[in-house]
Amino acid sequence: MSLKLIFRRLMFLVLVVWSASTITFFIPRFSDRNAIRERFAELARTGGFAPADLEKIIAAYSKQFGLDLPLWQQYLNYLWGVLRLDFGYSLNRYPSTVIQLIEQTLPWTIALLLVTTILSFLLGNLMGALAAWQRSPPWVRAIATPFILLQGVPPVLVGVLLLFLVGFKLRWLPLGGAYSIGAIPNWSWDFFWDSILHQILPALSLILGSAGGWVLSMRGMGVTIQGEDYVNFAEHKGLGGLRIFRDYYLRNALLPQVTAFALALGTVVTSAIVVEGIFALPGVGSLLQLAIQANDFPVIYGIVLFITIAVATLMVLMEFLYPLLDPRIRTQ
Amino acid sequence: MRKFSLAVAALAALAVLGPTWPDLQTVQAAAPAEIVPAKPLPDVPRNQTVILGWSISSPIGVTNPWAVPGYTHQEGNVFMWEPLMYYAIFADKYIPWLATSMEYTNKDFTELEIKLNPMAAWSDGVPVTAKDVVFTFEGQKNNEKLPYHAAFQQFVDTVKAVDDHTVNVKFKIPAPRFKFEVLTEKFDTGIPIVPEHVLSKQADVTAYAGGAEIPHSGPYDLVAWNANQKIYNLRPDWWAAKAGLIAEPAVKRIIMVNIGGQIGQNMDTVAQRLVNNEFDSALDMRSSVIGNILAQNPKITTHTGNKSPYGYLDWWPNSLWVNTQLAPYNDPRVRRAISLAINRDQIDEVVYEGAKISTIFPFPLYPGLKAFVDTPEVKALEEKYQPRKFDLAESAKLMTDAGFKKNSDGLWAKDGKTLDCTIHAFQGIHSDIVPVLAEMLHKAGFDAAIDFSADANQKMADGAPGLYMFGHGASLKDPYAAFELFHGRFSANIGTTAGNNRFSRYKNPEFDAVLDQMAPLSADDPKFKELADKALEIYWKEQIDIPIIQWLHRIAYNQTYWTNWPTTENLAAGTNGAFWAQTGMLVITNLKPSGK
Repeated sequence: MSLKLIFRRLMFLVLVVWSASTITFFIPRFSDRNAIRERFAELARTGGFAPADLEKIIAAYSKQFGLDLPLWQQYLNYLWGVLRLDFGYSLNRYPSTVIQLIEQTLPWTIALLLVTTILSFLLGNLMGALAAWQRSPPWVRAIATPFILLQGVPPVLVGVLLLFLVGFKLRWLPLGGAYSIGAIPNWSWDFFWDSILHQILPALSLILGSAGGWVLSMRGMGVTIQGEDYVNFAEHKGLGGLRIFRDYYLRNALLPQVTAFALALGTVVTSAIVVEGIFALPGVGSLLQLAIQANDFPVIYGIVLFITIAVATLMVLMEFLYPLLDPRIRTQ
Repeated sequence: MRKFSLAVAALAALAVLGPTWPDLQTVQAAAPAEIVPAKPLPDVPRNQTVILGWSISSPIGVTNPWAVPGYTHQEGNVFMWEPLMYYAIFADKYIPWLATSMEYTNKDFTELEIKLNPMAAWSDGVPVTAKDVVFTFEGQKNNEKLPYHAAFQQFVDTVKAVDDHTVNVKFKIPAPRFKFEVLTEKFDTGIPIVPEHVLSKQADVTAYAGGAEIPHSGPYDLVAWNANQKIYNLRPDWWAAKAGLIAEPAVKRIIMVNIGGQIGQNMDTVAQRLVNNEFDSALDMRSSVIGNILAQNPKITTHTGNKSPYGYLDWWPNSLWVNTQLAPYNDPRVRRAISLAINRDQIDEVVYEGAKISTIFPFPLYPGLKAFVDTPEVKALEEKYQPRKFDLAESAKLMTDAGFKKNSDGLWAKDGKTLDCTIHAFQGIHSDIVPVLAEMLHKAGFDAAIDFSADANQKMADGAPGLYMFGHGASLKDPYAAFELFHGRFSANIGTTAGNNRFSRYKNPEFDAVLDQMAPLSADDPKFKELADKALEIYWKEQIDIPIIQWLHRIAYNQTYWTNWPTTENLAAGTNGAFWAQTGMLVITNLKPSGK
């Protein structure tokens, strides 16, 4: 892989991030909702908040946050903040900063969604591959069927059903929260297992709802690959079933799935919004939902940029990894 | 490729030149971090712990009552901060607290003397003295960002510490309700007293978060706070227990669990956690949910036990407000026509299982207000103006008189436009009532729809066309505060924001004159009653808004671990049972172990 290629890919990454930041900057601005005003309205509604001149206070805070500047200047300030990964204060939860809020919530999202996306990917692709593999016994092929059926069921519905049956009726697993009530996060094994227990139901609702997609697509790829000449040749050579499955069949079928996996990571936050809400997990999805509802655009910028940078970086990494997976690309 | 490289170079230049642009936000406020205990918290058994479910959204670490806009009393801060007095609504009495007495010393209510409890102290051992009260009052008066600045500016002339435990307040104008409305905590109003020796040192009191360290007078210390929960521990040196005001609380720890989302969301899961005894109480619920909870766990009760309406009367009766400065809502005939289309009896039947919850008043019928509406004069007004009347024919006649005709869809229209009766409301708390209202209005020919969007509150504040389902958080003892919501001096013109929930923007010099005469009078004054009758008459005659329902707080109390929740059978401290209200501390500290 040449330096020129690496440089081009990195520059493309920069361009992607810049485009995403620009679009993200302007979209919330189309709404005339004012997050500061809404926060004060909420305080007035819930707490008898009756300051002197609400408009004056809102104007003072708007000035403090630079919202009184011309839009082009706000945009440049914003780009400068993006470069430094500093999105300033949350308008709705001042004086918390955006980075603080993301830091508080990110571990829960990563722990749940990254793990479930990876598990869903691995499980789904393995089941899909086995479902299409002609040498698989019928019972192995049948395992994939329920996942395919569940693929059309939204994770939210799966989550609600799991909560009701497993959490509420059977009381086998907790009904919500990231860990037991009263526990203080620490690095002990007890806390680790407690967290795991609380993640099982949310993880299951995501895996059950999304693994079917991987099963279907992998099965389709598997059917195609099985008919390829090199697979037939490997069989005629007398290679073992496991070796053909792993080195000839699975490895080739997996290539487009790897690209799809990188893209899937970009959509995890959409699932997060729903699942974190049902299970009261204090993750990025919940934070984003509240920020959108309050039009707290610094927080929206921070989260969306974070996802954009993460996905774009992953895509670039996938590009660099691809030659390792596919020697044909290496040669090109 | 060349153009591409140029574009990238431009971005790189931005990175280099970036430091020349000003920071977006130059505030150097101390941003709060998570509150993590320095060492592991001691174990507190479940039967000494109260676990409450709430949607916690305020910034972590903000505990200073003057931190604006981060602070809210509703998320556990009532366990840390105390007022001069509380008011127990169901016992209809004041509960002296930091103050042993607050008395007007002259007949025209222009002077108030406050005597402090000499045993009151902050959690760092410093006594609560007159200096703190003076600092609190002067801060509210002089700092325009503080929540009660407007009230202090309007009424307070001077505040003086006579001695360490006596404060004298002189008012610019008669202020008979200042003691109750501002200095006494109840429901969601009233001010706590803040520590002078801490806040006077801050350059900007509204930017100081407070954290766990801020000295407070309340019984509980905040010991942990993260995105999942807030944990409070009872402090053994709480002054009120030592002073004999209250017995040592049995609740040694309070955990407020973040149920996520906005208030009112995820209540199904909350209900399940209540039934499973994970929670002792939580946010109030809709009737269908709470009915199910009661059926599934016999240990759970409500203010009315297991009988409808499962809740207590809250101070927030809801009306359909309109922007009375916006045509055609500025026509009283249109407003009255809308009211005539509402079948309040059917609302009671359908939404509240027969309980009498619908209303014709902009205030809750607590004892003082019930006494007012039960007088012959008010009954006569009710007979004359028929505010509860449901009559589609009369509604149609009024709309016709106002120049409307029904179009081909059967909807009232004028100049080719239908009358927009979109109801802007909050899904979390109005999902049971608003669809019923929309259907009633539609049947009467009004172009009704439901707006539960996230910016519904913004539309109310902006005076958007339509109807606003909202409450009147005002009167508790006499009707003045509710009527004052419609005083012309608060009625912002179209194009500005209606501050402090005064959405009607009503302007009527005659009404204002009545209120201005009421303001300096005590509710005991016969002249006050006469004027209140007049104000109510104008309210009904003009149909300033369309009153719909009293507000109920249907709060589940789980008695598995804790009893002595306030109910109709058990007065407890005499307050309402909302742990998030200003009187929430009294609810929790009066709980008794069930013995489990």
